[in-house]
Amino acid sequence: MKVYCKNIVWLSVAFLSCFLSTILAQEAEVLPEESEFKDPSTRVWFNTYGNIRISKRLFWDAQTHFRFEETEDTPFIGQIGQIYNRHAIGYIYSKKVNFSLGGVVRINFNTDENSTARNVVPEWRIWHQYQFAQPLYSAMIYHRIRIEHRWTQGFEENSEYIFRNRWRYMFRAKVPLTNHKLVPKTLYVSPEAELIMQSGKEVVGSVMEDLRLTTTLGYIVTPRLTLAAGLMYSQGQTIENAGIFKQGWTMRFHVYFSPDIRKVKNKLPAIHLDD
Amino acid sequence: MTDNMFKGFSVPIYFTDKRKMSNTLTKNLLVRRIAILVFTSFSMIAHCQVISYMDSLNVGKYKGMADFQYKVVENDTILDGPFQLQRSNLGALLSKSDYSFLFKGVFKENYPNGYWKFQFGEFQSDSITQVLDYQYILNITGTQEEAEGILDNGKPDGIWTITKNRIKDSELDEVLFKSTIDFENGVPQKSLRIENEGSILVGRFLRYGLAHDEWTLYSEDDIDVVERWYFKDGRLEKIELNADGENKEINLYQSRILDGRIITLDDNYLKILSVIQQSVDTFDLSQSPINKSLAANAGYYGKIDGILSELGESAFYPEFKVKVPYHPIDSLESAQMDSVKTLYQKSKLISESLLNDTQLTILKMADEDAHFLHSVVVAISENFVHPLGDVLSYHESNILQYVPINELIEHAWPNGKPSTEFVVIGQKNENKIFKGPQASDFDFTQNNIASIYKMAHYATLSLDSIQQVLNDKLTKDKRQQEFIALEERIIAQVNQLNNDLDSLSDKLPLKYMKSFEKIKSTADQNLTRYSKMEETKAKTKFGRHLVRCFESMDILTKALAQQPDRMQVIKEKYQDAIWNPFMANIMNEEVKKRITSAYQRVLIPHLLDRVETELDCDNVDELVGLLNNTHQRMLEMRDEDTSRLERKLKREQDPLVIIQLFNLESIGKTEK
Repeated sequence: MKVYCKNIVWLSVAFLSCFLSTILAQEAEVLPEESEFKDPSTRVWFNTYGNIRISKRLFWDAQTHFRFEETEDTPFIGQIGQIYNRHAIGYIYSKKVNFSLGGVVRINFNTDENSTARNVVPEWRIWHQYQFAQPLYSAMIYHRIRIEHRWTQGFEENSEYIFRNRWRYMFRAKVPLTNHKLVPKTLYVSPEAELIMQSGKEVVGSVMEDLRLTTTLGYIVTPRLTLAAGLMYSQGQTIENAGIFKQGWTMRFHVYFSPDIRKVKNKLPAIHLDD
Repeated sequence: MTDNMFKGFSVPIYFTDKRKMSNTLTKNLLVRRIAILVFTSFSMIAHCQVISYMDSLNVGKYKGMADFQYKVVENDTILDGPFQLQRSNLGALLSKSDYSFLFKGVFKENYPNGYWKFQFGEFQSDSITQVLDYQYILNITGTQEEAEGILDNGKPDGIWTITKNRIKDSELDEVLFKSTIDFENGVPQKSLRIENEGSILVGRFLRYGLAHDEWTLYSEDDIDVVERWYFKDGRLEKIELNADGENKEINLYQSRILDGRIITLDDNYLKILSVIQQSVDTFDLSQSPINKSLAANAGYYGKIDGILSELGESAFYPEFKVKVPYHPIDSLESAQMDSVKTLYQKSKLISESLLNDTQLTILKMADEDAHFLHSVVVAISENFVHPLGDVLSYHESNILQYVPINELIEHAWPNGKPSTEFVVIGQKNENKIFKGPQASDFDFTQNNIASIYKMAHYATLSLDSIQQVLNDKLTKDKRQQEFIALEERIIAQVNQLNNDLDSLSDKLPLKYMKSFEKIKSTADQNLTRYSKMEETKAKTKFGRHLVRCFESMDILTKALAQQPDRMQVIKEKYQDAIWNPFMANIMNEEVKKRITSAYQRVLIPHLLDRVETELDCDNVDELVGLLNNTHQRMLEMRDEDTSRLERKLKREQDPLVIIQLFNLESIGKTEK
């Protein structure tokens, strides 16, 4: 009985907030007196990153992520929020510099149990990325610029696609812990910070979509397989109101694999990219 | 005048035997005497007329321009008047380096007398010259030794200083050595001071050159005293020294010397002290810093004494005197020691010839008696011959009378004298007793010279009898020259093998030790088998076979010693550098793991196991071949297409199959 009462209270609060947010959305110009921070949500992401060599300079970048987020009923791991497929053809310019161009199709699931809208909607992106690496003592540091052109739509029936551009910069380091450099059988720690800005007609004021601060602990199993896990804190302006910030805590689990499907004779020499 | 000239021509210049002036001097003088006499004959009236000499001259190893005067008295050449001999060569200095010297002083009636100066230089130059006041100036770098002082009838008198300086760009850079000693008629007086290699030795003398009071050696870098010798009227009571940060005290002549003798402080004195010092093993006196300083000083004085003695009469030696107790030796004892010398030389000759006899080395492996007698010779050598040599050296240095005989015996036989009967270990580790001829007649339990003589006598008698027995054996066993030559080769080969086994095993992991032991035992077994064989054609054949076999074993030893390095080479060879896109760096990846694993986990352990269990002369070549070929194949297979082989190797644990798959069998066979 008590549980039931509690649920009722939560539902009414949720309903009320939904109602309020509709009003706020309609009057998006009204900024709060002070920045408001929503309670952080928790999420769990399982990510796979494939990097498949297809020729001397080209590789197929294949990433599939399963993103779960908490709901009232599923407090910890949560329920599936997005399945995310990112693919691209990458070009190895040099050992330290590479570029990618490709597309993303993301399947967004409606996690709002009260919603009567559609359960699943697709989201489309075209993305290109420029990655730079440099060694620093025993560690490596990386700069990644990623630009995405994104078409999203809400869960409501017949909702229109909105178009936005995302401007992402990520700084990351990988510091070996159990060795003097990043080699197989080495544990490493990787702090990273990524700032995601956005622009587009629909974006009024909410230019900082997300700021992600992550620390990851990884283990290089072989040159072709690395496992990692980390915790990410993120915050960003909501699209509805630039004065309201969403926050999140995300546990992330990664598998990095890089098979080489070329024939042996094409592989040699494997590393001499500049010949 | 004509008479005089004739007289002058007819005057021969002789050097008496007494004179040590070198032959070259004689020759030079003879060759040039006509010219000299022409110049001097006008003023030459009597035999004792002073003659000037100005030409090149050799004195010992020193050859330079001389300028001196001499006279001839009763056919003897007597140096008299100023003397100078010098050498320096600008050409040599400019091209590479030059050594120079200058000896300058005065002789009086063939004795150096008055102020003398000696200089020895070794210089290089940077060849940069400068002209100053009508003179060329050139900077030199090197060392200069300089000695100066006054000589009175060939003996140092007054203060003598000897220095050795390092010169840099014609300026004094460092004093390497400096000794200052005050003499009176050749006897050191008051005090001495010797700077040598960063230390300073200061000591005092009594009037007659007797060392007195504290002789102290300080270090220039350290305020602490390094070493101190305490003398009392020439008697060295004790030595205190700081060795390796530890203070040591060596007690020597603690009580008054009633019947003493005065001797020179030199190497022999140190030898006496080494007997006297109560704790024998505490310090090697020859390493004493004071001793080193004194020795360095004696070296410099000796150098000058050598030059002066070549020229005339001199006694240029710093006679530091010390007092030691006198233990008189009567004529009988002295004669006994002379006999000891003869006996010792004979014993030494016999023992050395027996111990170095390769035939005996072979014989003792087969013949138990020969083995026993060989061990006895080793024991006599260690317990009799070597200590007797030590005792004898005191007799030969003429210092036996300055050491108490019981202490000398203790010094020579620290573990006590041997008896006439002694135990040696037999071939089967059993104890065997040796008793020499007429053993009961010898009693050397007493600590006197007679005992020493008896020991020497007993040792010679014993060695003599052993030599006879062994000679009989060896003669009876006399084999053809071919055998001896063959055996020398076998022994050389075995020695080579054993040396390699010993030296190479140090760096190897433990798991190789068993293989090494097996090689050693196989070689020993074969050698024993050989030595037990009857002397027939078959033995010669087997001997030749053994030479080849031991050679192969040596190659196997070297191949095994290389194995850890080879495995490392293979490990590195089977790595492929690949680019990791996520790290953006190059990482090494092991490739062809099935091949490397078959090599490391199956093949090499199998080969080691075969060496450990079944090594013999018949399969040593095959094993060497397999080891070497395996390495060669591994190097080749890295670059070959081995996908089929790798499929077949999956979970393969049988070494023979792997040998077949690696295609080693055929190679191994052909190698063999």
